[in-house]
Amino acid sequence: MGRTVPTITQTLNETEALLQRFRRTLRRGDQILLDDLLASAHRHIAAIAETQALLPFEGALLAILLEQARRLAQLEQRLSDLEQAWSAHEPREP
Amino acid sequence: MNHASREHLGWLLDVYLRPDGTLVGWLLNDDGQHHLLAWDFPVTIYLEGSPTHLRQVWRTLTDPNLHKARVVRQDIYGHSHTLLALTAPSPGQAQALYHHLQRTFPHLDAYDADLPLGVQVMVRTGVPLLGRCRFRHDGQHLLEINSLASPWDLDPPLPPLRLLRLYPDRDPTLAPPQVLHLEFATYHYRLPLRPLRPFLINLQAIWARCDPDLILSDHGDAWFFPFLQQAAPQFNPNRDPTLGVQFRRERTLFAYGQVLYRAPQAHLCGRWHIDRRNAVLFSEIGLDGVFELARVTGLGVQDAARKSPGAGITALQMQTALRERILVPVAKPEAETPRTLPHLIAHDRGGLIYQPLLGVHTQVAEIDFTSMYPAIMVNANISPETLGHPDAPPGLIPRTLQPLLHKRLALKRWLQSLPPQDCRVPTLRARQTALKWLLVVCFGYLGYKNARFGRVESHEAVTARSRELLLQAKALAEDLGFTVLHMYVDSLFVHHPDAHTPDALTPLLEAIERQTGIPVALEGIYRWLVFPPARRHPSLAVANRYFGVFTDGRIKARGIALRRHDTPPFVAQTQAALLHLLAQAEHPTQRVADAWDWVAQQIARLQRHEVDVADLRMAVKLSRSPSAYRHPGPAAWAAWQLEAQGTAPRPGMRLGFWFTRQGIRVTPPAPDEVDYDRYARLVWRAAAEILEPLTPLPPNRQPRLPLLGRRSPIQCAQVAPSACKALTSC
Repeated sequence: MGRTVPTITQTLNETEALLQRFRRTLRRGDQILLDDLLASAHRHIAAIAETQALLPFEGALLAILLEQARRLAQLEQRLSDLEQAWSAHEPREP
Repeated sequence: MNHASREHLGWLLDVYLRPDGTLVGWLLNDDGQHHLLAWDFPVTIYLEGSPTHLRQVWRTLTDPNLHKARVVRQDIYGHSHTLLALTAPSPGQAQALYHHLQRTFPHLDAYDADLPLGVQVMVRTGVPLLGRCRFRHDGQHLLEINSLASPWDLDPPLPPLRLLRLYPDRDPTLAPPQVLHLEFATYHYRLPLRPLRPFLINLQAIWARCDPDLILSDHGDAWFFPFLQQAAPQFNPNRDPTLGVQFRRERTLFAYGQVLYRAPQAHLCGRWHIDRRNAVLFSEIGLDGVFELARVTGLGVQDAARKSPGAGITALQMQTALRERILVPVAKPEAETPRTLPHLIAHDRGGLIYQPLLGVHTQVAEIDFTSMYPAIMVNANISPETLGHPDAPPGLIPRTLQPLLHKRLALKRWLQSLPPQDCRVPTLRARQTALKWLLVVCFGYLGYKNARFGRVESHEAVTARSRELLLQAKALAEDLGFTVLHMYVDSLFVHHPDAHTPDALTPLLEAIERQTGIPVALEGIYRWLVFPPARRHPSLAVANRYFGVFTDGRIKARGIALRRHDTPPFVAQTQAALLHLLAQAEHPTQRVADAWDWVAQQIARLQRHEVDVADLRMAVKLSRSPSAYRHPGPAAWAAWQLEAQGTAPRPGMRLGFWFTRQGIRVTPPAPDEVDYDRYARLVWRAAAEILEPLTPLPPNRQPRLPLLGRRSPIQCAQVAPSACKALTSC
């Protein structure tokens, strides 16, 4: 509702605005990575709100970590699938 | 029984006040005769304050017709109040007395002093407005009235009404009308407004011949009745000759985060006047919905059409309070209690919104909780006076909502049992939608700062419960193997590769209903559903912004251009046609190439000036007064132009304009003056909103105009404005 208290989306947007000078100092490639990281926090707005924390950016950092862990798990799964496919086609020693 | 008196069966249509303060009942008997009868209706108001002030009031009021008494009554919280009760012989005199005392003794608190007339009549006699009744009268006075109906009747008979439609030949805000159209039964009259004398003679003749009960107009409030009063002050369009047209002033208000404009109103006595363009929700609920609102809330038909549903729910709460002899305060009696920051952070929150998973999804079921918030208020007994008292008996809000909730559910079940072509379907749908709006706003009114029976903590209790229930539903769906794609306050979008039919969803629906205690309904199963990317980041989707096609062919869209009020009809129709084109495919990506070609054809139509100028009209809302704009956008330019033409635009007004090569224009331009490139960009953007998530844009982000002529023209149905409107309300 955000009647008196700003919503989590508003809080994250304000935090991102505060980070603009930090972002500006980064190299172009790093800026894109930072944008992706911050965007990934927005996928978990509801969960961040549920923490009822005074500093919701802590929850946002956790959400960013969660997204990183998910991508890592997806990559590990992909690597494992590729390894299995590779070992199936690898010529065996006589 | 008095020998001079006569008894009839009929309907109570409305109540209003004469200048002397007398209440008048407008009744229609079964023989088709109208009766405007004075009603002996004493009204009591209550005052509270220091004994000194109350003693002063007592001494000041010396009118022998005024009855004074010291009474003790209870408020909603069960607290006793010692009050001065003043009983005036008529509602008008009670109102005048209240306004006088308000000015003379501003420190006194007043109760039951501003109740709508219909509400008081309904509670005291049991007769709802538009309800069947038996009444006795002596030709001048109503002597007795007995109810033969309940506002909660599912299928109440409607009185036979004489309906006159009235509209000018053009929008009076753009140019002075030249002709007035009048439609009555199968007759259609076309009256030129000049010269004035024959116009007025003809109008009076038609008025006398038709003797309408209900005038349904376009621009009647802001144009026709003010014009009529100026042109022919001697002509009284009322049925009651003792009263003229009752004009109410225009106003601008801020509600629900928006600036709203209410045009001046023209009310009639002994007839009804509804201006379709100045009636809240009229496009959605129509006359049937307005009648339902009047019947249930006790607000007169003319008020029910023009006031927000919030006024309706307040009237319903007043009915409950009056019936149970609970005091109705004129102003909200208490302020919000101070709270700590952690408490606010924990509780000052809305419904749960789960960000959607981006992209195209197939076999998606949408599950909605039916009237979730009102059901929570009733089931969990949430009301200002029951907070913190888990064992309290049902509070005022649940007692008010329960019959409303039951009636809406019964109407919905009745609707579901009827085939779509049944002639009763539109009426039932309008009536249940009207009740839906009452239920929707009842939650907001718990937290509204001016609500008589509101308390923000009870508002927060409802949202907290709704978040909990939605999380329970999510867990149940995941336990049964569903993927939750999106959740939005009271609805879930879930996917299961094997859930193709409603039967496959039944176990989930039953489990949710069992766990939460609130009825849920399957809105439908989408053949495909798209959550498009946000503008801010391509990897993010936006809550409640989607479009898709149900397995039965229905299209549903939220948050895209065709849903916005400022989108020109041509752009909205193009986007709607695109959705219809994609809906023909099993998967939307199958028709993307055709869709791009259709967009190119539409842009080519624009470039060939083949589009009707009326379909290019933009409509934006003025959010402040024209002089307050520092960085003028199109709305400010349009407002300044209207000001220069002598019209005074008010904040909250929706202004129409066109983009021309010379800039903004508020009057319809000639076809060769229109800035077609600008409209082509709007079409392109609306198309990209749909097609971008389905396929990458062409590299140069330009319309694929070269494709035009390469293939045969795409056979895409031209979407009529009515179809487009139906889509937006899906």
